Amino acid sequence: MDNELTALGIIFTEFYYWVTVVFMFLIHVGFCMYEVGASRYKNHTHTLMKNTMLIPLVTITFFFFGWWIYFAFVNGPWIIGDLVAAPFATPWSELMGTHMGGAPIQDTLTSDDTAFWARINGVFWAAFLLFSWTAASIVSGAVIERIRPSAFWILAVVIGSFTWIIDASWGWSWNGWMVQKLGYHDAYASGVIHAIAGGFALGVLLVLGPRIGKFRADGTPRNINPHNPWLVTIGLFLIYTGFWGFYVACNIPIIDVYGPAMLDVAGKTFFSATNIYLQPTTLSAITFNFLMSLSGGLMVAYIVSNGDAFWTYSGGLAGVIGASSGNDLYHPIQAMLIGGGGAFLAYKMHYWVEAKFKIDDAVGAVAVHGYAGFYGVVMAGFMLWGYPSSPFEGYATISPWGNFIGALIMFFVLGFFPALIVSKILHSFGMLRIPREIEMVGLDINHESIRAMEAEEVALAIRAEANGSA
Amino acid sequence: MSTGLVDNWLNIDTFGPIYPFVGTEMLLTIAGFAFWIGWHIWQLKKESAEFKEDIENINKQGGPGKVLDDEATREMKDTVGR
Repeated sequence: MDNELTALGIIFTEFYYWVTVVFMFLIHVGFCMYEVGASRYKNHTHTLMKNTMLIPLVTITFFFFGWWIYFAFVNGPWIIGDLVAAPFATPWSELMGTHMGGAPIQDTLTSDDTAFWARINGVFWAAFLLFSWTAASIVSGAVIERIRPSAFWILAVVIGSFTWIIDASWGWSWNGWMVQKLGYHDAYASGVIHAIAGGFALGVLLVLGPRIGKFRADGTPRNINPHNPWLVTIGLFLIYTGFWGFYVACNIPIIDVYGPAMLDVAGKTFFSATNIYLQPTTLSAITFNFLMSLSGGLMVAYIVSNGDAFWTYSGGLAGVIGASSGNDLYHPIQAMLIGGGGAFLAYKMHYWVEAKFKIDDAVGAVAVHGYAGFYGVVMAGFMLWGYPSSPFEGYATISPWGNFIGALIMFFVLGFFPALIVSKILHSFGMLRIPREIEMVGLDINHESIRAMEAEEVALAIRAEANGSA
Repeated sequence: MSTGLVDNWLNIDTFGPIYPFVGTEMLLTIAGFAFWIGWHIWQLKKESAEFKEDIENINKQGGPGKVLDDEATREMKDTVGR
């Protein structure tokens, strides 16, 4: 920080991630609105609080261990190597607090660590943390109106601060083993956020079961329509808005590609933004592709759903998710067509799975995030076949089989199965689902009764006052 | 006496951590973990007690069917908003 250019680069990076965090907050606002809009009147308060309270729980656990996992687990551990030391990311590290970048006090750190991480650690941690909230929030929508909040919050910590960040360490970091060995490419997180969250939601739903009344005696599904479709659609609009921050947070804003911290090529300098794999990209490229894939998704969803607002908006999201893996490199028209495919698949798969397996996914989260995310990773494997997965030597190239295996790891290994196991444990202790009587009358019965009594008391008081003054 | 390592801002270019009580990070971590686990236990107990009470109330009112009927009647009369 002893010259203006260095200071500008560092403080710009710090500010850049901070802005992404503010934008990504809107994703959570959107999810809360969306869920409350999708739930029935007598479950509103619990639905809102279920999603709201994941914020502090995932935040503190991501501070305690999530952030460390990201750096420590890049080799598996024990898939291609040992745990990696990450002394700047442990909760007891001095770099996890207010720090000016001078010489370290703790002997596990070096002066290089403190100089690099002092200003970036908090904002970089927060950018990843907001992804964690998103992963947990995706699950939250699918399970509304019958999961016990206590159980959901345990599951939220499992995906938000544990399994998703393992997948990020493996497949969404410049040196993760999946990138090195499989050539896994998932630049804007079709798999590492969406497929895993969709798979996780499916695992929970399988144990949790459908809402009372969802299926007829003959097994055919009934529609439980959103209580307030306008709140749902505004919520989805806010998620779109927050998605801009999400995309931008997936990049590193400015780095000398030939510099000593990267390729270390003498005599050459090239400053660029890069994706998480340190491959050069531009904000311009992802802006083209974000909007074109959103458009493809909206257009196809509008047609297949016959103009249904809920599915058209969800299809826009599925369009972006379906193209996100390769949206750093696709042509915008490719992004549009791939996005359209994501929306088509999400819509068709949702109803097919619902009818076939009696899965009650209240908001279509498994379809929009899980199936479209899985598809997005697989499509990128085909579309980017043969591209280098990293600027560094010795990494596998991007391939259909590398990305297909990657998609299976995201959806099933780190999403579906951990959720199934934890849900079964919670279920075996009677901790997963709310009691039947409460589900029938609504989770907010106590709140609503008290509110009704209070309102009645106030109304009586006003009437008494009016009669007295008349 | 000072709770932190900062006694002036003149040599800021050499400063490392500037939060108070540097050196207590491990204790803070243990306290933080305890707060987190404790919260889950407390919340779980509270939720179970709340559900138990809700079920008692529902049964006292004649079961879920009766509660829903009463709710529907109340809404029809619209006594709440008046």
